[in-house]
Amino acid sequence: MSKDVTPGATMAGRPGDASVPAIEMVELCKDFGKFRAVDHLTLTVQQGEIFGLLGPNGSGKTTTINMVSGLSVPTVGEVSVMGYNVRRDARRIRQILGSVPQETALYEELSAWTNLDFHADLFGVPRREKKERIIRMLELVQLLDRKDSRVGTFSGGMKRRLALGRALLHDPQLIYLDEPTLGVDVQSRRAIWDYIISLREQGKTVLITTNYLEEAQALCDRLAIIDHGKLIAVDTPEHLKQTYGGSVVELETVQPSDAVAQLRALAGVKDVVQDGSRLTITTQDNSNVVPQIINVISHQGEIHSIAVREPNLDEVFLRLTGTALRD
Amino acid sequence: MLQELSYNLRVVWACAKKDMKSALTERAFTIIGVFVPVNVLILMSLFVLAGSQAPTAVVLQDTGPYAQQFYVAMSHAHSFRLQKATEALAQDLIETGRIVAVVTIPPDFDMRIRQSQPVRVDVEVNNLNTDFTNDIRRAVPLSITSFYARALPHLVTVTPEEHDFYPQDTDYLPYLAVSILVAALMLGAVLPAGTGSAREWEKETVKELLLSPAPRWAMLVGKMLGAFLVSLASVALVLAVLILVIGVWPVHWDEVLGYTLLTLAIFIALGTLLGTLLKQRQAVVALALGFPFLHRPFSSLPESFPCTMQLCYSSTPFITSHLTPLVQA
Repeated sequence: MSKDVTPGATMAGRPGDASVPAIEMVELCKDFGKFRAVDHLTLTVQQGEIFGLLGPNGSGKTTTINMVSGLSVPTVGEVSVMGYNVRRDARRIRQILGSVPQETALYEELSAWTNLDFHADLFGVPRREKKERIIRMLELVQLLDRKDSRVGTFSGGMKRRLALGRALLHDPQLIYLDEPTLGVDVQSRRAIWDYIISLREQGKTVLITTNYLEEAQALCDRLAIIDHGKLIAVDTPEHLKQTYGGSVVELETVQPSDAVAQLRALAGVKDVVQDGSRLTITTQDNSNVVPQIINVISHQGEIHSIAVREPNLDEVFLRLTGTALRD
Repeated sequence: MLQELSYNLRVVWACAKKDMKSALTERAFTIIGVFVPVNVLILMSLFVLAGSQAPTAVVLQDTGPYAQQFYVAMSHAHSFRLQKATEALAQDLIETGRIVAVVTIPPDFDMRIRQSQPVRVDVEVNNLNTDFTNDIRRAVPLSITSFYARALPHLVTVTPEEHDFYPQDTDYLPYLAVSILVAALMLGAVLPAGTGSAREWEKETVKELLLSPAPRWAMLVGKMLGAFLVSLASVALVLAVLILVIGVWPVHWDEVLGYTLLTLAIFIALGTLLGTLLKQRQAVVALALGFPFLHRPFSSLPESFPCTMQLCYSSTPFITSHLTPLVQA
């Protein structure tokens, strides 16, 4: 189903307005031959939020982002960015979009400074501001002292930081980061997260794709879970956990329990996983069902330990898609 | 409008500058781009020179004026590289493959000519190479005719009246120099343009270009301009070798430079297309190295160029005076 999204017609507000969604995808599809990479995706990202696309490799995240940036033409459906339609206003969209692609796309044979200088020329950064902006960006990503070093000599984290600085150089309204911390050490990951959070404070809209759950949880105001090109769920991380996760009861018994069937039969129990003497029970509402669980288990044998906790996004993802995120 | 033009020009120059910097930092591909055309130029010139004149020894058993004139007639046949030798030396040279023919002028040559008697000039040919063998078979009778035309003109009643198309003759090497130059320029242009484009795909930096608001044509023109400027280095080197080392001097500089730049522009466009399609620098290099042979540079290219693009042969070329004997020996 294709739907035309003309700026100012079907959108709330006009292009560039604060009221206009940063990104609006309507029934978006992308086919590669007979393979459908993105399947009727409808999503709205509001201005000023950090929005995450979460899904395993091959789920259609990068294809979706390529359609947002105009790199790939949708087979069916429409995308608009800040009210501009990607089919008609691709150049305008690229002016307001800062991109950190997965592969960083840095010229490794050139210096950090030359990379930013080239980017500034491509994006038409005013000549009189160019030098000052490059210095500011290199300072921001803490690479000013390495400005003349060849990028090929940088670590993975430094390259990611430089790519981030480059994406911000032309002062974009929307920044997309494709797997921003892929292959980055823990220390650099933390620094990159801090930069991303600071972008929201500057009023920028950030679109992130990731398959790191902790990253999605730490950064995103809202999350869309995608699998096989389809939208599975979209909400805040907390809401997703509450809606799709339930609570998790972890029990350890002295002897392996044979009460799994009884536990599964309890109203409010979603799933039971047994690993030797350990039982992991996912519930819909722990307040009602936990006493019943304890009752069933205590009839079978002695309980060694018990813990009730919130579900994590991994468990939410597993529940929603039936597969683990990194499968 | 002016602002848009200024931005587009800025993009063109930024892409050209970036590609030149990349080429300079990636030395292996730059060296290939600059020096391979020169290698091709020298190699082809050596092939041409090695096959242009048949090394021949003349055993002058008669030193009379007619025998000397016959030797001069042979040297004007443009098919022999002559050297005088004794019978023993000539035999040694032909047996060791250092010459392809021995022409023996008999001791009674002058006497028989004066007495209008038939003369038998012995020609021993090493017919291993058909090209050289046919050269000898054509050139010896030609030398005899030429000898009679000079020494005994009253005996030759049929004479050609030649009308030349050009004010000066073009030797074999300058004639082929156009093809050789084009083949070298082809490599000098296709290599930097092709590797410059393929590099963007191979290293995945093409996303930086595709995600920018700059018009595609401006980036493409910029990339081609960068390759053009890099290839000028190889052009300068190729022309320097052609003129200073091989000794081929352009008659019309403006035409040579004009067609050189035109050839560059055409092959830079082709190289850019190749790089974009192949997306791998090694594939571009491999394909580009085969280009000169696809175009039959020794036969068809000069005909496709305007006849006015002439080159003349210097009298003291380095290769002919120093290298050719080594190649032919």
